[in-house]
Amino acid sequence: MAYLELDNVDFGFGPVSHRYEVFERASLAVEQNEFVAVIGFSGSGKSTLVSLLAGLLKPDRGQVHINGKVVAAPGPDKGVVFQNYSLLPWLSVYGNIELAVKQVFPSMKRGERRDYIQHYIDMVSLRGSEWKLPGELSGGMRQRLSLARTLSMKPEVLLLDEPLSALDALTRSQLQDEIIRIWEEDRRTVLMITNDVDEAVIMADRIVPLTMGPAAHLGREFPVTLPRPRDRATLNFNPEFKELRNEVTRYMMNLNEEAKSLTRSVTLPLPDLQPVLPGPRVRVG
Amino acid sequence: MPAACSRPVRSLRLPVCCLIALCALVSNSPAIAQDKNLLDLEKFELKFGFIKLTDCAPIVIAKEKGFFEEEGLQVEVIAQPNWKTLLDNVISGELDGAHMLSGQPIAATIGFGTKAHVITAYTMDLNGNGITVSNTIWERMQENDPDLLASQPQHPISADSLKPVVEELLDEGEKLQMGMVFPVSTHNYELRYWLAASGIHPGMYTKSDIGGRTDADVELSVTPPPMMPATLEAGNIQGYCVGEPWNQQAVAKGIGVPVTTNYDVWKNNPEKVFGVTKQWADENPQTHLAVIKALIMAGQWLDETDDNGKLVNREEAARILSRSDYVGADFDVIRNSMTGFFYFQQTDKREMPDFNVFFKHDCTYPWYSDGVWFLTQMRRWGQITEPKPDAWYHETAKKVYQPEIYLEAARMLVDEGLLDEDKVPWDTDGYKQPTDEFIDGITYDGKKPLEYLKAHQIGNKD
Amino acid sequence: MLGLWIILILACLVGAAAWAGKHRTVKAIDVAGLNFLTPIVRLCYGEEPEKQLKDIGRFIVVPVIAILLFLGAWHVVSEKIQTKSGKLPNPRDTLHAAKAINDFHYRENDKQAAFNLNGEERAQELERVEQRLEELKPLEAEVNKNVAAAKEAAKERLATKVAPLQEELDTLTAKFKDAKKQRDDELASLASQAAVGDEDAKNAFVGKVRAYRQLASDERDRLRDLRTEINDMRAEKDPEEQRALAEQTAIAEERQYLGKMQDQLTDSNRYEKVDEENAKLQEARETLYAADSATILKAATKVAQTEDRIDRIEESGYAKPATLPYQVKRSVLCVFVGFLIGSAIAIPLGVLCGLSKTFMAAMTPFIAIFKPVSPIVWLPIALIVASAFIPDPDKHWFTQWLWELPLLGEYKINPAFIASAVTVALCSLWATMVNTAFGVAAVDKDHINVARVLRLGFWSRLFKIVLPSALPLAFAGLRISLGVGWMVLIAAELLSSSEGIGKYIWDQFNNGASDSFANMVFVVFVVGIIGLVLDRMMIVFQRLVSFDGAPTAI
Repeated sequence: MAYLELDNVDFGFGPVSHRYEVFERASLAVEQNEFVAVIGFSGSGKSTLVSLLAGLLKPDRGQVHINGKVVAAPGPDKGVVFQNYSLLPWLSVYGNIELAVKQVFPSMKRGERRDYIQHYIDMVSLRGSEWKLPGELSGGMRQRLSLARTLSMKPEVLLLDEPLSALDALTRSQLQDEIIRIWEEDRRTVLMITNDVDEAVIMADRIVPLTMGPAAHLGREFPVTLPRPRDRATLNFNPEFKELRNEVTRYMMNLNEEAKSLTRSVTLPLPDLQPVLPGPRVRVG
Repeated sequence: MPAACSRPVRSLRLPVCCLIALCALVSNSPAIAQDKNLLDLEKFELKFGFIKLTDCAPIVIAKEKGFFEEEGLQVEVIAQPNWKTLLDNVISGELDGAHMLSGQPIAATIGFGTKAHVITAYTMDLNGNGITVSNTIWERMQENDPDLLASQPQHPISADSLKPVVEELLDEGEKLQMGMVFPVSTHNYELRYWLAASGIHPGMYTKSDIGGRTDADVELSVTPPPMMPATLEAGNIQGYCVGEPWNQQAVAKGIGVPVTTNYDVWKNNPEKVFGVTKQWADENPQTHLAVIKALIMAGQWLDETDDNGKLVNREEAARILSRSDYVGADFDVIRNSMTGFFYFQQTDKREMPDFNVFFKHDCTYPWYSDGVWFLTQMRRWGQITEPKPDAWYHETAKKVYQPEIYLEAARMLVDEGLLDEDKVPWDTDGYKQPTDEFIDGITYDGKKPLEYLKAHQIGNKD
Repeated sequence: MLGLWIILILACLVGAAAWAGKHRTVKAIDVAGLNFLTPIVRLCYGEEPEKQLKDIGRFIVVPVIAILLFLGAWHVVSEKIQTKSGKLPNPRDTLHAAKAINDFHYRENDKQAAFNLNGEERAQELERVEQRLEELKPLEAEVNKNVAAAKEAAKERLATKVAPLQEELDTLTAKFKDAKKQRDDELASLASQAAVGDEDAKNAFVGKVRAYRQLASDERDRLRDLRTEINDMRAEKDPEEQRALAEQTAIAEERQYLGKMQDQLTDSNRYEKVDEENAKLQEARETLYAADSATILKAATKVAQTEDRIDRIEESGYAKPATLPYQVKRSVLCVFVGFLIGSAIAIPLGVLCGLSKTFMAAMTPFIAIFKPVSPIVWLPIALIVASAFIPDPDKHWFTQWLWELPLLGEYKINPAFIASAVTVALCSLWATMVNTAFGVAAVDKDHINVARVLRLGFWSRLFKIVLPSALPLAFAGLRISLGVGWMVLIAAELLSSSEGIGKYIWDQFNNGASDSFANMVFVVFVVGIIGLVLDRMMIVFQRLVSFDGAPTAI
């Protein structure tokens, strides 16, 4: 049995009359110490997936298991890094982490706690900004802080909800490396949501695409067998990398075609977004 | 300091005290013992309320000229917005005592309005009110009686020339609106008396009509004294009866004409009293005595005259009263009436030495007959809804008026050498001699209230 | 004076900038909401001088010019507006009123101080007072003479002005009287003709009568107009005379003050009184020691009484009347008490409303009904309730306790004060309540998710997530509340006659003296400036708790 398991889950929003089914029979299994990237289009229910796994939402049918136990409520064992950081803007860098540490390790002594918090601040290279408020930090720094806060809870499972999507390309690749570096330290189980195929290929052990909603489920899996550490500079010329990337992209495009035919009958207005994808532009909906 | 000259004790004391002040460090010689018999005060920091009227003078003078301090009292004197609040504050204990309308302690004691047993042992003054009408009404009165066109018309002016105006208005379906300061105020009764004496019905109070407008030819309404000129100017009322300086203010601002003073309505009528609750007086008998002593001294100071009969301290009193935390009107305006003058129009300045009487004519003594007169007026206009026997009038007046306290205080002052023996009516039974010095000439004998009620044309006769 | 202040402020600014560094100073200025000072600091650091000068021009010079223009316009307009209650005070009159109010305050303080002076100081003060009294004597005589002269002159001026009109009035009166008599005679003679004539003749006679009546009425109107004109002329105040009177008043008031000072330093002085009593005590003791069994009780009582009296005199104070600075302080205290009561009610209720939709639904009718109720309605109710709870403030334990408090004691908190404060609370709590509820209800979903992931309990969730996140909106509400409270308070004090600015205004209105108008105009500025300071203070708080960097001030 896998460590983190999504077992035949149904989930939907709204009243019966115009219910929007996000997931139908969605299943996913993540092994211990595995880094899985879930890739999907906007609106395919990626954040909902994280919420389900974290226990913030309850599935309508089916169950979520961690380590064989049913997930009933959210908790610090399932660390979530939210898409828009979810930092508390009235607390400093230190204060944000302190809030989590105090709650999760109430018995920790004062001095010990200070060192512990400082350790995580150093880990995400925020030393020197301990007393700044989130409003005074750049986007990358905020995401690092969010990561540090989640890591400081020592979660069994790390759920990253598009952690890097709001950042510019440079910061993004820098942070990708940093996340991998931290992950390498103790190799905790990670599930990362992303909409970037490159990112998924570079970081993950396995890529699982999410089919287009409504009634999304998890599609065919793509194991990434590239050896670690993966060096960004050389990877671009690696044929295996290129092949995998193209394969995943192609699969995703097909999903989109499928979704088009599916959504025709549905009157639900979808946001008029045009995801920027490698390759030709495709109209959604 | 003209004040000091005529009071031997005080004139000596000032320089003596200065001397002591200078010598205090040099020698430890005891101060010269005074004869002043300091009372065993229950309370020595007091708060008195007043309404911005010149007849609050005894309280203000007692404070400013140090009469309260001589009795060991520290008194705060606080302006009140209207008579109702003033009475409520006295009853609630917020104030220890106040400058009150004569009718207020009586009405409170018999339960007309707020019920509480309020007593008085000191009458603050005689006279001091005027009836003012707006310029327009004055012109119409002049049309009706060309004699009024003279620059100094013959006094007293009765309401006869007002009657046609009232009737014309009634024909037009309107009623003349006049202001007075409180339902049980002297002003209400005087204005009613003046109107009724000329056959104008000012309206009756009944059980259901507590505004006193039943059958009225002229509607009377309550306006706080300081608001009178502004209300007249705003056109809400066409005339009013109020104390000084609010009649002189109308002349100074050119918005109205005082047609008569209450001196003409009833010569030397009682006006304000110093009221405290019975409860307060019972709890603080010595303090009450001390206060009355200081007030008698203040009254005496206010009415002090030189050999020619000129009031010597009034100028200074007017100056003190014009301070903005006291009456606050312009000195010139206050001075008119305080120094014995009254402007009826800009061109009509008359000497009225008795416009404000603070001490002479045994003014400060709390006469039972005054209380009875107010009770007869309350009955006449229906504020007392049931007919009452003669005895009831006397009993009620005796509940409110407390000459014993006054006499005790006066006795102390005489013993201290501050008051002449012959200035106090020691042997009176509390009833003034019958008098017919009213505008309509009807005789009032305080001992026969029912007979007096019967003598009037308008109003209840029993 | 003003220049000195400006220089002082600038010096402080420069000093602060030099000490704390540019960025910190600018930030402090920003937090304080005094952004117009920023260009000066930046200019001190030589940063883009041109831009800074431009900003100084826009944010400092322009407002100053606007103020000057306003003063100019006010001056011009005030000369034109003449009511029966007096001329609209111009800026100078207002400044003069401010000075008079200030004088009154300091004089009362002096009297209070004099009451408590002793020894050398008292002798010196007495000397000063007496010296000044001496100086004043010739001055007083002079102003009295001036007033008499000014009055005489004014009377003459008035007489010359009125004389032609009066003459016209007299001639017209006489003329019209003659004319009327003539008409009456004519009508009388016509009457006999008409009486024998036919209907037409009689109707014609009616026409004649009507025409003459009209004539008489016209004549009456003409006379009335003339009389009114004369009366208006008489009512007009002569400026020279007014000036002389004002001077006389100033001198007379000072003399009054000095007289009272003299009394406070001698007869009414506390130590003087204690000395006096001590002498008596001495005497009483001697009597006591010499007393036999028949008189000893009386003598002992006398000693005890005197001792008690000395104790009381020693702790007594001068009964000082309320002066404007005291009233201002009391008003500010009152508004804060009301504001605190209001906030203490509004914030918990607002939080509950924000947390629970059910509770919000339960509260909505009350908010909807009570929110629009005017302070004028609340006040009498509050007054009755407060007086009912504290029937006799001199004896009630609560007021007694309040009066004993070290700093609050001097404000003599009484039912009228409490009623005013409660009125302020009732009128001002709505803004805070609604804003707090909104702030709590609008807590970011992500922040709630954080709380859920951390498994925060109800209280930590409330205090660590919900309240901090609702704080900026709650403070915006508090700021509105304080502003509303300040406005309400003036009205409440005016009605409850609780000692304060409202009562001051009311007293001035009631005084109706020639300087009352100017005093009121001055108080308008006092009220406005205090309101401004309160608002700025709330802005600072709001800035300190606001984490989103949202602009909070204009």
